[in-house]
Amino acid sequence: MRKLIFNYVQTHKSEILGEWINRMKQEADERAVQTMSAQMFTKTSSEFIELLVSNFTETEEEFQSKVTGFAEKIVRLGWPLTVITLGLRIFDHIITDGMQEEELVDHHNFMEFSSEFERWMFPLYNTIIDAYAYTWERTVSLQKIALQELSAPLIPVFEKISVMPLVGTIDTERAKLIMENLLDGVVKHRAEVVLIDITGVPVVDTMVAHHIIQAADAVRLVGAKCMIVGIRPEIAQTIVTLGINLDQVLTTSTLKKGIEKALEMTERKIIEVEEEQ
Amino acid sequence: MRIPILKLHDCLLISIQWELDDQTALQFQEDLLRKIHETSARGVVIDLTSIDFIDSFIAKVLGDVISMSKLMGAKVVITGIQPAVAITLIELGIRLEDVLTALDLEKGLEKLRRELED
Repeated sequence: MRKLIFNYVQTHKSEILGEWINRMKQEADERAVQTMSAQMFTKTSSEFIELLVSNFTETEEEFQSKVTGFAEKIVRLGWPLTVITLGLRIFDHIITDGMQEEELVDHHNFMEFSSEFERWMFPLYNTIIDAYAYTWERTVSLQKIALQELSAPLIPVFEKISVMPLVGTIDTERAKLIMENLLDGVVKHRAEVVLIDITGVPVVDTMVAHHIIQAADAVRLVGAKCMIVGIRPEIAQTIVTLGINLDQVLTTSTLKKGIEKALEMTERKIIEVEEEQ
Repeated sequence: MRIPILKLHDCLLISIQWELDDQTALQFQEDLLRKIHETSARGVVIDLTSIDFIDSFIAKVLGDVISMSKLMGAKVVITGIQPAVAITLIELGIRLEDVLTALDLEKGLEKLRRELED
């Protein structure tokens, strides 16, 4: 039976391809097809059919690596997964219809045909979906890493003074990361004063305040001073309304004032240089 | 094994080089207080640079030693607390409030000198 299907596919390859492209154009989502040029579409399609055919001829591993390579390529081209699964379905229909027309398949051997065909197509579905899922997962994990890198940078602005600007909501996981980065940075840059800038933190609730106080405490333990800067009026209001005690932490309204204070604490100041005559 | 306590002018210098067990910690507490009494030192610097890990008992003993030394009229500076240790202390709720800290021994001694002058 396998041979029968293979022979059919092999001899009718170009017809199948033509038919497949036609039906794809009809049935697939307009947007998906329009995003690529006709030439590209035909080329990729023929490659796709070629790949399906090679499923019969080659060994498991070779086929596997071919499918993976192809899937990665389509993912890069931006074909949606639905287009691919639709393509597989249409291919399925074309072969079934075609073989029935030529009376290679009839009522007697249809069951055999369908189970054999199923066995052939199933790994294909699996591999392609796997490849897609893998690409997505990789993208997500890369983005997660990128987000983490962006989430808590410590910038040494002057000798002995570092700034950590925080943007966005702070949750427990991020607070932990902030604390680690803060402490490692303090030790690495040998900072004496660290400014945490919360201008970009939209909401300061009890939990966020708790994390900030903890961070400030930890910074004090490693031997530096911590200052919270960028406290906006509404944040000052929430802090007091919630009854959060920030007495032990130095606070200022803007980063500018904070830097001035920090310079003062390290016995330095910024002076204007007189213009040379 | 006892922790060596060195005398430097009117200060005592302690560098803790290995993880403390409970017994050593208590021994250290006794030794330090006796030494403060003997030498009538005005300052104590405890360096924790080599300590990467601390448990709650040691942290408590450390806090106690600091308060006790203060009672005996010696100012204590803790130096070189590692980030991991700081996080553990904070998570254990040991805040070591009004304890002087510094990044390393050098800065710690400077800080102590300044405190003693005041």
